[in-house]
Formats: sequence, C-alpha cells, structure tokens
Amino acid sequence: MQVTGSLKGRSSRLIRSVNSLAGAAMFVAPLLALVAVWAAVIPLFNVNPRVFPSVGAVGSAALDSIRDGTLFAHVGASLLRVGLGTLIGIATAVPLGIAMGVSPTVAAFLTPLFRFFSVLAGIAWIPIATLWFGYGFGAIVFVIFNAVFFVVAYNTLLGVRTIPHTLRNAAASLGAGRWALLTEVLLPGALPNIVTGIRTGLGFAWRGLIAAEMIATNVGLGYMLFVARDFYRTEVIVFGMIVIGVLWLLIDRLLLVPLERATIERWGMVRRA
Amino acid sequence: MKTLSLRNLGKTYFDPYAGAHVTAVHDVSLDVEPGEFISVVGPSGCGKTTILNMIAGFIPYSKGDILLDGKPVHGPGPERGVVFQSFALFPWKTVLDNVGFGPKMRGVPKAERDRIAHEYLALAGLSHAAHRYPNELSGGMQQRVGVVRALANNPDVLLMDEPFASVDAQTRMTLQEELTRIWQERKPTVIFITHDVPEAVFLANRVVVLSKGRVLDQVAIDLPRPRVWDDLVRDDQFKQLSARVLQMVRAA
Repeated sequence: MQVTGSLKGRSSRLIRSVNSLAGAAMFVAPLLALVAVWAAVIPLFNVNPRVFPSVGAVGSAALDSIRDGTLFAHVGASLLRVGLGTLIGIATAVPLGIAMGVSPTVAAFLTPLFRFFSVLAGIAWIPIATLWFGYGFGAIVFVIFNAVFFVVAYNTLLGVRTIPHTLRNAAASLGAGRWALLTEVLLPGALPNIVTGIRTGLGFAWRGLIAAEMIATNVGLGYMLFVARDFYRTEVIVFGMIVIGVLWLLIDRLLLVPLERATIERWGMVRRA
Repeated sequence: MKTLSLRNLGKTYFDPYAGAHVTAVHDVSLDVEPGEFISVVGPSGCGKTTILNMIAGFIPYSKGDILLDGKPVHGPGPERGVVFQSFALFPWKTVLDNVGFGPKMRGVPKAERDRIAHEYLALAGLSHAAHRYPNELSGGMQQRVGVVRALANNPDVLLMDEPFASVDAQTRMTLQEELTRIWQERKPTVIFITHDVPEAVFLANRVVVLSKGRVLDQVAIDLPRPRVWDDLVRDDQFKQLSARVLQMVRAA
C-alpha cells in the first residue's frame, strides 16, 4: 500500500510538471509565432524602418540600452512608481471597501461618488496632478494610486457582501468581537475579490503609468517611448513596448497568480479559469 | 453548567412582502436542565428555527425573556455554541484552526488551543484531517468539524439547527450515533432543531413539539443508552414513541 501510494504520488508529480511545462510552451508559442511573422514580413515588403523596425534592429536597440544602463534606469523608475502607487491604493482602498461592506449607510452614501470617479480614474487626472505635484514622481504615483484605488475598493465591497452571513454568526457565537470579526472573517472572506481587484487595478495602473510618463517626467518606460519618437527611433519604441508587455506578464504570472494559488484556490473559494 | 429558561418568548416581525406584521413565535416557555438533550420538532413555519436564532442571539426577541442561569441574554456569545445546517466552517482556516477558533477568541495561546483542537478532533475521529481545508472534506466530515468546533469552546448550551439535514441518509445515521456517543461522554446541554421525528426521538431525553409558535406538547424519551440504529429500528418502545410524536406533528 505504502509503495503504491508513493509511486502514485511521484508519477502524479511528474504529470503535473510535464503539464506545467506544456502550459508554459502553449503560452509562449503564440508570442514566438508573432515574432516569426514579424521577421518574415519586414524584408518581404521592404518596410521602411521609420514605419516599423526589423527584429534585428530592435534586438540591437535592446543590447544598447542594456549595455549603457538606460533600460534599467527606465524600468526601475517605472516599477518604483507603480509599486508605491499600488501599495498606497491598496492600503487605503481595502479599509474603505470593508467599511462600505459592513455599513449600508456608508455604502449608500459613497456609491454615487464611486460611479462618478471610477470612470475618471487614472489618466484623466494627469493634468491636475501635475499642477498639484509638479512634473515627475508625485504626479505619476498619484495617477497610479487613483487607478488602483477605485477598483480595489469596489471589489473589496463586493467581497465583504458575498461572505455568507452564517460565517459572521458563527464567528460571533464562538466569541469573536468586532476586531476579530474583521481580521478573521471579513478580510480573508473578501480576499478573493480583493485579489481580483488588485489584478484589474494593476492593469489599469500599468496603462496609466505609460500615459503619465509620456507627459509628466524625464525618466521611465513611457518617457523612453515618447523621446524615441522625436528621433524616429522606431526600434527603441517597439523595444519599449515589448518591455512594457513582458513586464506586465511577469508581474501577473510571478506575483498575482501565485498569490491566488497560495490562498484562495487552496481554500476552494475560486476555480481558476 | 447552567439552566436555560425561555419565559413567554415571542417574536413578531414586519414582513415587507406580505406588507404586514407576522408572528413567528407566540408564547413559548421552556426550561432546559444542565446536561439535558432536547429535540424540538414541528412542521415548517412552526417557529423552531426562529426560537433557536433568538437563543443564539442572531435575532432580537419581541417579548418575554431568555435566561441563562437567571440572567437575560442578548446578542451572540460563546456560552451558547451553534452548529449550523450549512456547517459555516471558515474556508480559509484548516480544520485544526476552525476547531481552535473559539479558544483563540478567549485568548488561549497557540500551543494550548492546538492541543484542545486535537483532543476534540480525536473525539470525532478526525485526527487525520487536522491540516486539511474544509473544502477538501465530505459533507459528513465537515459537519463533524462543525460539531466539535462548537464543543471545543465549552459552551453552556449547544444549539443545533437541523445540522444533519444536508448530508446523505447513511452518513446522517452515523452522525446521529456519534452525536449520542459524544453527548454521553461530555454531557453538554443540547437543543436540537429538526423536522425529522425518528432523529428527534433517537437523540433526545425530551422531545418538544411546536405548533404555530406555541409548545404543543412534550414527550420524555427514556430509551436506554448507548443508542444505535441497529437496535432501535427493531425496538418497540422506540417505534411507539416515534409514532406518538409523529402523530402530534402531523396534527400540529
């Protein structure tokens, strides 16, 4: 029995790692296909590099920016802004979302404001943010914060509302006070929605970041794209776009997906699509 | 251990769909002695779940008193443990942490509450499942956790709201036998709500029959213990008692 058990465990682990390799290959294959099409089309139609660069030109632009360190300066500046804005957004949105979820009065009062501001969230704030904070770090962090805040708060509210009322009753009849109810029931119960909110919000934030950096700064990925345009450096623009896309995939796959796996999927609260 | 008394308990609420005040519980008086196992039966709408929710403190009562050892109770509290029909386990906590939740709320240190939780899990034959999450367990196992989670908090009264209604028939019989065994070992005071008459008779010392928000009658169940279904299905006294209670419920 013991032996069969462990053999079974080993083979299922093997199957799982083969599956995850296959999954990664399935994920990368379409991206590689796109690069192949790109590599074939440019010489075929003799495309002017001012319109779209060749694969090789983008590759050497990548090497140049790595060698002279500008890539890391831009990526570092962008990640710092996104990270800080997102953290401030989560730290303020989650308590507010929970307050709204717990109190119907607070929710009723704030819901119209949320409807109004959620459509404005993000880049519409760039002009006034630059007046308040000047061009640079503060204005961009504010725009990121703004993009994250409304989505996370709204999802936290939904999360608290979807917690079955019997769970609150169960906690109360086991002796939980208000604070324990918050930390032991409301926060973990709302976590699936909070994580969804963070994923969506970070997506908004990432787009907002690039837009804000084109206008309001002199370093960062958005700035790198915008300046390259002035010199018709399409290979730098396309390389920057690739970096933006790849960084987002890495953030999502390496940070957000594992967070979901480790918590809410294990608890059986969501099934990953 | 304390005595639980209901004195002329009543509940009237406004039903927005009917547009009128509805009286779910008219006038219920009942004394439950320490260590007693009471089953409350009655047809749908007789007010049995409303009474349990009032004792648990989940809903306020409109008239009368609920006294625990002579002191009125309001709102939920750890001296009244509840076992829910829907189990109501915390999905984000392991079985061990679910059972240790009550002690944690009392400020019991981690090592001690793990010891308590392990002790109660052993009582329900669940030691092997301590580190699993509720969604990994069958319905029957989840409700075993629900029962020992409430017991591990050492409540004066254990309130059970149709706890076995959502598990299959075979598992239900096993759970009923386990509950009588655990009750004999620990002698908690139990109020058990059900609409299943044989279940009520099998478990209880006394069956209270409710009708339209009032106590219709009470039947003492002096069947010997330990009780197991293999014996009782053939037992004449059990059959007579069940038939008598069933008649009352159907006439109610």
